[in-house]
Amino acid sequence: MNSEEKFFATVRTALGQAADGERPAKLFPQLFASPDPRPALARIAARGPAELAELAETLLAAATENRITTYQVSSLAEAEAVVVELVRQTDPEFSHTRHLLCHDHPDIAGLRLWQRFSRESVAVHTSFSQDQQLREKTIAACIGITAPEIAIAETATLVEISGPGRPRSTSLVPSIHVALLRSEKLVADLEEAYALLGQRQQLDSFVFVTGPSKTADIEATLVHGAHGPCELHIILLSEPTLPGDTAHSAQPAESAKQREDTPESTAPPEAG
Amino acid sequence: MNRPSQSNYTREAIKGIASTTLQTNLRSFQERLGQGAMRMWVELADPEKRRRVKASRMRTLDHLDIILASLAEKVRARGGRVYFAETAQDASDYILAVARKNQVKRVVKGKSMTSIEIGVDPVLEAAGIEVVETDLGEYIVQLAGEPPSHIIAPCIHLDRRQIGRLFADQLGIDYSEDPPTLTRAARHALREKLLSAEMGLTGCNLACAETGQISLVSNEGNIRMATTMPPVHVAVMGMERVVATMAEHRETLQLLTRGAVLQKISTYVSFVGGPADTPGETREFHLVIVDNGRSKILADPEFREVLACIRCGACLNICPVYGKIGGHAYASAYCGPIGAVVSPLLEGINKHADLCKGETLCGACKEVCPVENDLPRMLSALRHKLAYGSDQWDTRQMNPAEAFAFRLWRHLVTRPALYRAGLRLAALLQRPFIGKNRMISRMVGPAAGWTDSRDLPPIARQSFAARWRQKHPPTPDVAKKTAENSGEEKV
Ligand code: SF4
Repeated sequence: MNSEEKFFATVRTALGQAADGERPAKLFPQLFASPDPRPALARIAARGPAELAELAETLLAAATENRITTYQVSSLAEAEAVVVELVRQTDPEFSHTRHLLCHDHPDIAGLRLWQRFSRESVAVHTSFSQDQQLREKTIAACIGITAPEIAIAETATLVEISGPGRPRSTSLVPSIHVALLRSEKLVADLEEAYALLGQRQQLDSFVFVTGPSKTADIEATLVHGAHGPCELHIILLSEPTLPGDTAHSAQPAESAKQREDTPESTAPPEAG
Repeated sequence: MNRPSQSNYTREAIKGIASTTLQTNLRSFQERLGQGAMRMWVELADPEKRRRVKASRMRTLDHLDIILASLAEKVRARGGRVYFAETAQDASDYILAVARKNQVKRVVKGKSMTSIEIGVDPVLEAAGIEVVETDLGEYIVQLAGEPPSHIIAPCIHLDRRQIGRLFADQLGIDYSEDPPTLTRAARHALREKLLSAEMGLTGCNLACAETGQISLVSNEGNIRMATTMPPVHVAVMGMERVVATMAEHRETLQLLTRGAVLQKISTYVSFVGGPADTPGETREFHLVIVDNGRSKILADPEFREVLACIRCGACLNICPVYGKIGGHAYASAYCGPIGAVVSPLLEGINKHADLCKGETLCGACKEVCPVENDLPRMLSALRHKLAYGSDQWDTRQMNPAEAFAFRLWRHLVTRPALYRAGLRLAALLQRPFIGKNRMISRMVGPAAGWTDSRDLPPIARQSFAARWRQKHPPTPDVAKKTAENSGEEKV
């Protein structure tokens, strides 16, 4: 008997089962039964612009409570202006040059930041999954930009799902995290967020982010900026609905395919 | 981690009570979080949630073999490795082997009580590997060379001046007692460690069998760092820290963050279960699932419930005893009421005899516990084992003389005539001990310990029963009944 079999034999004995009587999960479907997610999914799907606007209000209020800076914009051009302003105000914490790290996402590519900063000493990087220098770029970056797939209005929580082109570290290592959030990505509460996550076939690693990193370990005094970002900015984008827009698809947007529509984003020059 | 003997309980408790910093910090902490949690449960929109989560925790424990097998299968499918460790030693050996194989020189840790329980830090350090705690509070107590004293506020026993001096000495920064300045100093010092370590070592708040992921809750971001930036991530979990489904995960998580710090959700809840899919991030993931005495708890219906604990720390924030003595007296990875139950079960009831007996059994911990764990009941059960010994728990009877005295006492009180005669005798014998304040301040022999810290009122000249009879002379009816009931007296 190897150590793993022995471990299980001990557990089974403790439970009053035969030590070698393996109990296959198949025979205990009720253990893995979950409440039906369909009502929650139906709620999400049925939301129109008015309800989304309400969720946006909830998110904005919760964001303030959690020390999140928010901006409401109605086009990518406006979002771009917000980012540009933010970059210009930022003093890099860990390097001399201002480095920006962007998730490989069509919306962020749509901001065309490398064009905006082509004449400034701001380096704009995209987290392409093949990039072997990605780690160094991430560590140098003072701002990381993501486009979360889901956000929970009640608590102003972003759900950052990682995958190729969307590394975990972009929303973590840079001093400032900026999330470009489409209002269609809003759900009401944790239950709805879990319902959406449950729809994904292959659930990559993900993280719920609610506010900038913080600690209260020294005499219970709250300090923002512990080991993660010191600031979190949410740019809430509510565009007049475009044809073909899908808010919550069961699978992550295929960034490679969408990139074909936005040829500029395939190889952003990295201004230095 | 030093593992002091039982007498340390009293010694550390006395130290805790004498520390004004600890007393002030604990009081405000308990007032805010403990009382807050009590109120929050009353106001909870869905009062059934606690019962539901408890039921799911117990169902998971009853089927732990099935659920752990699913978890392992799913984690492996994600490209992670799973190791089942029967003992603390097995777990530490495995972690050391992984470190050696990857030529690890530095390990960054995210707060993990299980890692303290299995004692892996000294094992790694003995192999020449640097081990750095990265949770700010844990980092501070590590610099101070002390064990943590609270599940979620490890350095609650230190004030800002002590921390300021510590940082000035150890980090070479200018003395400051400003929390933001101190936090920034630690941020910069630890960032370097977090980015250069070859291995991250964390615990696991809740693993989910359905998805094959572990989830970790933090506010500081250090745990995200430790699970992302080093090439190797090892997570250690007690075998009970698992839920079957995401639906159960959601509700359990909601109780966890509320119980811990009254938050609807903490800053970060990360779900990982395998290597990251980006170059430059974690490329190897190991999950170490530890038994180390848990199966013994699982096997005993009297104590199985304690494994339903989700380690939120709420019981620490309400316990009147913990609120006075602080965490160091518990002398184990787990402190507060939960520690008082779990440490004796994991490490030996005799070893922690004083700890089992230190609580008031007021019941507050049960009320505040998100999963309504009946800790007072289990404390009583532990004391029962100490009083009478238990083969199952390898516990020897603590004080046979005391047990004998109580048997004698039972014999006495069930025989009223004998009892009264005894009382009269005792009233006579006590005379030389009654002091000027009409109290007994010093007893002799084995009873002396009782009067060391308190006075004993003497036995009254006239017993309560006698006075009662005087004031309310029995009606013939009652007199008859009484006579029947105390037949022995007539003999
Ligand atoms: S026993 Fe209950 S209150 Fe105490 S840590 Fe465990 S879950 Fe929290």
